[in-house]
Amino acid sequence: MTDDEAHVPMTGEEKTAWVYGTVVLLTSGTYFAYMGTQLAQRPAEDIDWAIPMLITIGASIAGVIVGTIVSAIGGAVWTGIRGRFEEPDFTKDERDLAIKRLADRRSFAFLSLAMAGTLALAMLDVDTFWIGNWVFLAGTVGAIVEVTTKVRAYRRGV
Amino acid sequence: MGGPKPTRVSNRIRELRADRELTQADIASRLGVTRQTIIAIEQGRYSPSLEMAFQIAHELKVPLDQVFQYRASQDQGDDAN
Repeated sequence: MTDDEAHVPMTGEEKTAWVYGTVVLLTSGTYFAYMGTQLAQRPAEDIDWAIPMLITIGASIAGVIVGTIVSAIGGAVWTGIRGRFEEPDFTKDERDLAIKRLADRRSFAFLSLAMAGTLALAMLDVDTFWIGNWVFLAGTVGAIVEVTTKVRAYRRGV
Repeated sequence: MGGPKPTRVSNRIRELRADRELTQADIASRLGVTRQTIIAIEQGRYSPSLEMAFQIAHELKVPLDQVFQYRASQDQGDDAN
């Protein structure tokens, strides 16, 4: 029986949000840093951005899967070492769903605004480099908005 | 980041649990929610759905209004004093 004074671990959903945010920052950060160096060397229309972007998306998906597994195993091992083993709890309840709804709503509102920017770029007939990277940047910031909203709601309340 | 976001719903779950020698984990497993959710409700960081509120009252074997109280506004509370 877990008493009230026992350590309170993060829920599985909060842990996943942290993993997702960390992976997105790492993979997208690397991608945009690479694109920055490319832009410094050649004009935007000569940069091959599609393959690096697809690799980044693939790395993000794989990173979230691996990160979630590693954090679950690592958390169990860590609590075991400290003598208070707790089975990973993957329960998803109404509070998790309320937090997810709030995060989805904010992320969607941001993405809707960003899509207006995409339309503007298309109307200005700019190179596909800028349109593709604008959409990717919007997706990255939308993901950060989602994760930040979730973590804040888990810590401060819904 | 400031303190927890307060709700207008306060509750006596902790006190009623103590009377019945129930832990947060006991209530959580009976309701099928995480212990963190019970903690968030007790600390006023999450207002449960009506259904969960009734389930909590049922587990604590008291009527709903003995578990949860709603504070309409600070002004009204002050007026009552």
